[in-house]
Parts: sequence; structure tokens; C-alpha cells
Amino acid sequence: METFNLHRRSLLRGAALGAAGALSPALAGAHLLPLQKGRKTKRVVLVAFAGGVRTRETFGTPDNIPNMRQMADEGVLYTNVATANLGHFGATMSIFTGISEPRGIRENARGEDPTLFEYLRKGLGMPKEDIWVTTTGGAQQVNYSYSVHPEYGSKYGANILDGEGIFNAEFKQLLDTWGMPKSMGDKEKALLDALRKGVGGGVDAVREAERLARVEDYILKELTQGTTDITGAAAGDRKALRLARNLLSLFRPKVVGVVLQNADVAHGSYNAYAEVVRQNDAAIGELLSAIREDEELAASTAVIVLPEFGRDRDLNSRRGLDHGDGSPDLRRVTCLAWGPDFKRGVEIDSQQRTTDVVGTVCELFGTTAPLTRGGRLRGLYS
Amino acid sequence: MKIPRTPPDSIQRVVHVDQGAGVQDPKGQGPETQKPDTQEPSTRARPARALAHGSLRTTFMDLIGRPPFAREYEQWLGLGRDKLLDDLLGGEEFWGHWWSEQLYYFLLVDNFQPIARATKEIPGKLAEGRMDYRTALHRIALTSSFDQRNPGADTFVTVVMEQFCGLVVQKNRRDLESGKRAYDGGKGNFLGTLVNNQSEVIEVCVNHSKASKHYLEREYQRLMHGAPDKKVLADQARRLHRDTWKYLATTRDWLLSEEYSQRLERLEPKSNTLFLKGLFVDLLDRLPTEDELEPMRTALDGLADPRPLRSVVVRLLLDSGRAKIPEKAAITDPTRWVAEKFQRFLGREATPDELRVFVGTFHAEDCRPETILYAFLSHPEYQKY
Repeated sequence: METFNLHRRSLLRGAALGAAGALSPALAGAHLLPLQKGRKTKRVVLVAFAGGVRTRETFGTPDNIPNMRQMADEGVLYTNVATANLGHFGATMSIFTGISEPRGIRENARGEDPTLFEYLRKGLGMPKEDIWVTTTGGAQQVNYSYSVHPEYGSKYGANILDGEGIFNAEFKQLLDTWGMPKSMGDKEKALLDALRKGVGGGVDAVREAERLARVEDYILKELTQGTTDITGAAAGDRKALRLARNLLSLFRPKVVGVVLQNADVAHGSYNAYAEVVRQNDAAIGELLSAIREDEELAASTAVIVLPEFGRDRDLNSRRGLDHGDGSPDLRRVTCLAWGPDFKRGVEIDSQQRTTDVVGTVCELFGTTAPLTRGGRLRGLYS
Repeated sequence: MKIPRTPPDSIQRVVHVDQGAGVQDPKGQGPETQKPDTQEPSTRARPARALAHGSLRTTFMDLIGRPPFAREYEQWLGLGRDKLLDDLLGGEEFWGHWWSEQLYYFLLVDNFQPIARATKEIPGKLAEGRMDYRTALHRIALTSSFDQRNPGADTFVTVVMEQFCGLVVQKNRRDLESGKRAYDGGKGNFLGTLVNNQSEVIEVCVNHSKASKHYLEREYQRLMHGAPDKKVLADQARRLHRDTWKYLATTRDWLLSEEYSQRLERLEPKSNTLFLKGLFVDLLDRLPTEDELEPMRTALDGLADPRPLRSVVVRLLLDSGRAKIPEKAAITDPTRWVAEKFQRFLGREATPDELRVFVGTFHAEDCRPETILYAFLSHPEYQKY
């Protein structure tokens, strides 16, 4: 197992901040970043361009991805990133855990290895509000939130929103038909708190209810702001990217993860797959615009984009692309890193691994990922 | 493979050994009652454990995926668990719930939900004893939904191996490659059998002895919420593999066991479907329609921590005017009303302190009955059962 040899001062700072976080997450969050001396990065957007995406249709066909191409010109492009065909669920999970372990393709359960989010929250005392993940793959992908590892687990989990799930048109329609819930007056809310405290002596229930109420308010607002109306090619992915953009602008969390999935239409249609790649690039462009247009975000946000694996070299009988031939197209992907601390316009073709991302992000924030088996993306910093 | 048919009433012939006398109701509400044994010796069930609010509610939710309706509380409170099992196990609601759970296991939900009429008739056939569980699972794998959900040779064969047999494909590469060849119309030795096409790949997996074991393991987890004794389960799986009609008898044994009594003492998290069905039954005394349930369930599944959205749904129902909530003035005995809500929603008696807080708050000017109900239904304890 590879572990990180961080500077002692970073470790001490991480420990101190962890303790501060235990006392007051909000206070700890306010003083946390930038954690690495001399670094500008305060937040990271990590896009798992999942669903199986070959380099041929991305950086091999720059016309498909003008936005990511531009980001590459301003950042670092790793052109030889090794991955394992563990199915979409397992391979994407490995990006977040830094460990390649087989997982069932349709397995719908938490992993056993801690995720990036758990490392960050435990190591730095980050409050849950600081880590959001938006997805498009439904029930299965919410499992990326946290593991069942006894030393980590749900108390260090991320907020996960599945755009396609929450913002499904039928649910919105139901809300419209039944009527949006009425807001509660302050006096009634105080009574509600008293009642919540009264069940099983649950003071924690009140504190937790306040946190959940903020998420509840956000969801209700988002439901009325058009996310539900996104349809057409890559609608699920575009919802996930739009949510990420809105979350970043509204809450300014430290970490926003995005998990895409729609590229898997490639099994049945190459053309539909290529269209998903183009649509997702456009949505990533919108996300990037939101970052660029905000002075603070522009100066402090890093973006990392990578697929979980590629696709087969040759078309299948349906003129689509499966993923199972073991070819370099499947096993090697391209990773893009863009941000204020990264080199600009550099291509690195030495071998990296998708499992290196966890260590890289942890290192960027000044903490460690003690159980990951990945390393770090090399040659990243300017 | 031909599946031997056994008369649908075979479960009634299971002989149970009397054990566990003197056991208190696990949730501690009801006095223990030993019901007179009026059955023939050959059909004698294990001893009755009197059903109280908590155990009744939990057993209903485990078996048929919803809490009891108001009339069913009246019908079953104080009777034995064995009698309830006689009524629920193998019935239409039991198989309907089983079917939904299997589709969810295969992630055949939302756009991938099978909609063909023949597929929708399967729970009914299971309830009538015209189909066994293995055939039903086989039908799932043969649906176009399953094919669309798992496109391409690699994905399809991997999923069939994993989901049916519990195999790790990375450790069974040769079988995976053989299965993929067959999927594409070639020949291959797949899990010890020569296969020529996609359909035969499915057939081999569905009828494999590992599939019986894997099925029973996940059913144990689903119903008992714990890990089985491996040796006992292996024996049960061998029996089930020989005779698929033994499924209900095995389930019945589980639910009358001490392990299940222990499960009734624990609170387990509700799935989103269970939460929604429970909420509708608790508030409206009816199940949600499919058009209500599916969009809500899909939305709740979209959150790693669904509690904020669950609260939205609770408020939606409370504010919709569809729930029969009495006017405050009509509640003449608030203590009794609150105590009933503890039993109905949380499956337990209120403590004196809880009653004091709730009844005291009830009398506050700004407190509405909806405020009380919202406090119950959005509380962490209501997220479990």
C-alpha cells in the first residue's frame, strides 16, 4: 500500500483543524483553506466523466470538446491514465476511493473503502455542507457518499444529489398537483423543535433537523428553477452539471463531485454517444463560465475531469461501442486538471492511474488518504 | 431444467417444533399470550407470540412492505405471529412486495421497469402457486428491460453471473469470456455447461446451485436484516435447489425463529419505498398509487441522505388536505390522541416524559395537529422500523 509522506507541518495543521472541526465545524471551515502554504486552491470540482468515454471521442476529436480542449490549454493533460474495467459502478467508485476493487455492476451498496469525501471530512474537520456530489445514475450512485469502513462511514459522508432522480418531471408534476408545502412560522417552528427534543430526549434531532432544513429549502428552490425541464440528449448528465454549477455558486462548497453516466448509450449507438460527449462538454463549459465569471471562484477553484474507463476499440454489431475487449482504448483514458496552482498547457504522457486522484485532491487540501492504494498525479503543480 | 411442481398448499404441511415458550413480546408492549392450539398436529405452528403494535407493524413491513391499515391493527393485535404468517406468507401482497424488491435488486426501476402484461401477471401467478420463485426470476432475466438495462456482452454476462450466482467475474474470467462468446452467438463452456446463445447463458445461471444459495442469502438479509448462520443456510439452499417450492417454508422458519424475535427488538432503516408506503398508510390509510409512488421514490433515491426530501413529502401530504386530520377542537382527549400516534407511527408506547412534552405543546396556541404529526413523521425514529 502506498501512503503519502506529507510535511509534518501539514499533518499537524490537519490534526489541529480536525480538532477545531470537532468543536465547531463552521469555525473550522472558515479557517481551513487554502491549507497548503503558497497555494491558491480553495475548492475542487471533480468530474467523473463516467459511462465509459474513449480518448478518441474527446481529446482525439477536439471539435467534440472545445471547452475541455481550452481547459487543457490552460492546464495539465494526462494522456496515459490507467484504469480497470470493473464495471461503471466499481470503476467510478475506485476514482473516489483510490482503490481498484471489483464491485458488482448492479451492486447497490456502500463500499468498504473510505472515499475521498470521508478522508477530507475526517482529516480536515470539514462540515458536510462543504462537500456535495451530483450524479445522474440513480439509486446506485448515491452509494459514493460514504463507505461502511468502521473508522469513517456515514458521519463523514458527502451530500449527494442525483439530478435525474430528484428533479424528475413526474415528481415536479406531483408537487404542482398536490401543492408545494407551506412554510412554517417561527412560533410553530419553535414548538416543532420542542416536540423533536421531546421524542427520546433528542436534542441532536433538533440540530440535525436544522441542517436538513437548509437542504430541504435548497431542493424546493431548485425544483422551481428549471432543472426539471432539461430534456434530450445527456439530460441526466446536464442536470448533474447544472446542479454542480448552482451549488458552487450558491453554497461555495470546498468540494463538488460530479458523476456522469449518459455516455453509456454507446452500447447501442455510436452517434448518440458522440452527442453525449459534445453535450457534456458544453455543460462543463457552462460550469467553467460560472467559475470564470466569479472573481473569487476563478482565483480559487481547481477542476479535474476524467472518465472511469474507455470503451472497446471496435464497433459492435449494433454499431455501438461496448466495454470489455481489454484494448488500450478501454484501459487508458485522459485526465484533465485545471486550476490556479496547476501548470498551464502541459501534456504528460507518463503513466498515471485513475486511483491517483484521491491522493492528489487530499494533498491539494493538505490532508492524507491513509488507506488509498493510489499515488498522486505527477507533474501537476506550477 | 424442469422444475418439479408441488401442490401450492405444501407450506401448510411443514411441521414446526414448539419452542420459545415464555418469550415476551420483543417490543415489550403486549403480555405474552399462548393461543390455544386448534390446528392438527401435522400443521402445528411454533408458539404464538402475541403481536403488539411494534411487532405487528414491523412484521407487516418486512413481509408485505407496508404497515397495517387501521382495521388490520384491530384484527391482529394480541394474536400470534404464526397466525399472521399463515395469513400473509405466500399471499398476493407478499408476492407483490417480493416482486418489487427483486426488480429493485436488479435495478429494473424507472425507465427500465418491465411493463409487459405477462410480466405484471407474475406476482399473481406466484400467489396462486402457478409459478415458483426461480421461474419468476428467470422471467426477469428474459425481459427486454433486463436486456436494455445491461447492454452488451460484457455487461450482460457479468450482471447475470453477479446478480444471480453471486460470482466475482474477475475471479471467473474464463466463464465470463465463454458467456460473452455465447452471447454473441458462439459456443462456450460456461459454468460447466456448453452454451450457444444468450438465453442459455441465463438458463445456466438461474438454475445453478450457486444461484439458490445466493438467492437465499439475499432473501435472508432482506427479511431478517442480519447475517445467516452459514451452515444452516447452506443446508437450506441445498433443499431449495432441489425443490424450489420450499421457499415459503424456509421463510416461515426464519420468521418464527429466535433470530427474528431479536430483529424485532432492533430498529432497521426504512427503504425509500417502505417509507413512502408507510407514510401513505399511516396518514391516509391507503397505499400510494403507482403514479404517486414511483416519482417520489425516484426522487428520494436521488439523495444519499433522503431525510430532507422525506420531510418535504411529509409536509406535502400534511398540507395537501388529503389526510384526515381532525380539527384541534375535535381532539377532546389529547393525551389519548398523542399516545395513539406513538403506537401507530413509532410502534411503541410513549414514555411519561414524552407524553408530557407532546400534550403540553399540543395546548400551545400556535400548535396545530399537523405540527404534532410533522414532528413524528420527520423524526429520526420514524425513519426506522
